[in-house]
Amino acid sequence: MITLTPKRIFDVPIQAACISVDVFTGKSVEEIKNLLITEGKETITLGDAFNVIEDSTIEMPTVVLTGDFSKVKRVGQGMKTGEIIINGDAGMHTGEKLAGGKIVINGNSGGWTGCEMKKGLIEIHGNSGDYTASTYRGTSTGMKGGLIIIDGDVGTNVGCYLQGGTIKIKGSAGRYLGYHMSDGTIYVEKDCASRAGAFMIGGKIIVNGVMELMMPTFTIDGIKPKVKIDANQNAQGPFYVFLGDLAEHGTGKIFVLKATNSALATYEKFL
Amino acid sequence: MGKIIKSVVCPICGCLCDDLEITVENNEIVKMKNGCAVCEAKMVHGYKSEERILEPHIRKNGKLVPVSMDEAICKAAQILTDAKYPLLFGWTSSSSETQHVGVELAEELGGALDNCCSVCHGPSVMAIQEIGIPTATLGQIRHRADLIVYWACDPWSSHPRHVERYTAFTEGRFEKSEFKGYVQKLKAQASQKKVALTMRRTQVRYQQADSQAATVEAPPQSLIRAGRKMVVFDVRKTMTADVADYFVKVEPNKDYEIFGAMRCLALDQELDVDVVGGVPVEYLREIVNVMVNAEFGAIFFGLGLTQSVGRFRNVEIAIALTRDLNRKTKFVVSPMRGHFNVTGANTVFAWQTGYPFALDFSQGYPQYNPGEFTANDLLRRGDNDATLVISADPGAHFPKSSVKNMLKHPLITINPDWNAISRLGDVVFPAQWCGIEQAGTAYRMDSIAISLKKVVEAPKGVPTDEEIIRQILEKVRVIKAQKTEKVEKLDDFGNKNIAGGN
Repeated sequence: MITLTPKRIFDVPIQAACISVDVFTGKSVEEIKNLLITEGKETITLGDAFNVIEDSTIEMPTVVLTGDFSKVKRVGQGMKTGEIIINGDAGMHTGEKLAGGKIVINGNSGGWTGCEMKKGLIEIHGNSGDYTASTYRGTSTGMKGGLIIIDGDVGTNVGCYLQGGTIKIKGSAGRYLGYHMSDGTIYVEKDCASRAGAFMIGGKIIVNGVMELMMPTFTIDGIKPKVKIDANQNAQGPFYVFLGDLAEHGTGKIFVLKATNSALATYEKFL
Repeated sequence: MGKIIKSVVCPICGCLCDDLEITVENNEIVKMKNGCAVCEAKMVHGYKSEERILEPHIRKNGKLVPVSMDEAICKAAQILTDAKYPLLFGWTSSSSETQHVGVELAEELGGALDNCCSVCHGPSVMAIQEIGIPTATLGQIRHRADLIVYWACDPWSSHPRHVERYTAFTEGRFEKSEFKGYVQKLKAQASQKKVALTMRRTQVRYQQADSQAATVEAPPQSLIRAGRKMVVFDVRKTMTADVADYFVKVEPNKDYEIFGAMRCLALDQELDVDVVGGVPVEYLREIVNVMVNAEFGAIFFGLGLTQSVGRFRNVEIAIALTRDLNRKTKFVVSPMRGHFNVTGANTVFAWQTGYPFALDFSQGYPQYNPGEFTANDLLRRGDNDATLVISADPGAHFPKSSVKNMLKHPLITINPDWNAISRLGDVVFPAQWCGIEQAGTAYRMDSIAISLKKVVEAPKGVPTDEEIIRQILEKVRVIKAQKTEKVEKLDDFGNKNIAGGN
């Protein structure tokens, strides 16, 4: 196990894509300390910014980051195996393009966490920023697989261009949840802000709390007693089932809990 | 008798009207013809302001002290080179030539580079990157458009000559001006007012439509007629709405839902709801019919879309509606850009680096991510450690938290007059007014390059902002070369006490 702790409070952002199990594997502590990162425009070594300690008695988790990492970007980028635990806040782009392994964040996470992720697991025991599990600007390939579990709330545009995988949000979700998604599942245990599922053409969004406003481009399809989230979990209904986005000729489904959404009862006349 | 200069370009808003006639007497603009009130305020009065910065200043012991240009350039270059992550912000009221040098400086410094569009039409640019844009030049719209839709903007106040030069009130080759109709409408309204006044005098109780509380009225018959029509969507009845054939009052922050509903209607889909964003679906259906039956329609959108809830997604869906309408007729969409060269900033940054704004050079190559590298987000998080502001005033327009973080670190400003941010600066440079004292290139809101003219001489000793940026860039290169020399010498002798360079 390798433990990293910040040597000082960082003023400017640090880009450290090299903090990844794949990169650390097979390297001695000295070699890890000499890995290059940038602090603002300046190129420094990992050892300049962090204390690196190895404990060869423990094998898993492979890398533990302790302290405030909110200004450290791109931790675990493109990682394929192993486990990173962050005991503190994580910065932007954590677990971006994750292709396997596991990242646990015992704190809040910045924007673009798990962006364009393909496989693996990200657990966030706190809130997560905007664009979690989404895309890079201008591209249309979002998260393709894997699982993201968020204990707290999430920002806007979460799961946009989602193409597969599951996002479980135990708090509330911001606007444009599952924007333009074509596959995959998003489960929101609490409330969901407006414009969820806009432009969606496939996949499903399950809202267990209050839906702020249903997009007018969705049509009611029925009422369902129970919905499957993934192989291990079902959501207990009954749920209103909405189909859309009609403007995109989409066949995406939004399941909204009937008990908490009396405002949507007006749709029942179309059933 | 002063000298008359014709075809002067107005350096205020994105319209860049190029038909001004300026009279210059004793190196002063005394008269201006053809321009709007906003133009007159700057070109005839504003630029002569007593608040003009005439020499460089440096803050010493908390007070701004006048210094020589060389000293200010050295100080600024030193601040920027010492900083780990400087932010260069502004650029939209400078010429494209200045912006070009600015990109070079940002690359040399490895800092963040952003322009004012991140707080105005940056979301439009992001939406265009997501979905593309079917658009046309203002000339095309002027000659051909028979349906003009102004969405969440008020050109009558912000771009006063837009309606007159490019849309409803202009005499196009194929479409005639609607100005006469408007005058008739005004006369009719005046007589209606007289009747109302008489009724009030005779104490007859009557129901007056309150513009604030009024629900949306049904589309008028005049929308079906041939000729130019103008429809305004906004959250309140603006001056542009008074001029328009039809005004739709939208609930605040509900534009996205209305666009969505209109897209469905344009694609002949049925909706489950009766009212969207305060507008009955029936009326939306009629508006969409008018849009589909138009021969050439144009949607202009403003900051009401880009800076309200949803931001670039609002623009995206506006473009999506235009795309859907293009299956049935010809429709274009265009942003109402604000500052006169904000489009230029986007264009120049894009052809230099590949990205229009929100740039970062810390890795040695340009990175782009609005939300991560946009000025306000950087400042709010306190990520940068020095700021250069050029031809902009974030001191007056940014949130308190951003400005507070900005002032924790050194601040360099380049502005013609003592605005809020100049007064807060640590190094303050004077600059010429671009388009009045300095010639250059600017891009109109439809990305057409137009040459700005120099009409008067600048006060003595006041350089152009391009010269200042170029000098800072040269000085930065010198300081960096000295630093490298130092490092090389350290390598040679291995002794930290030997310092190289001067």
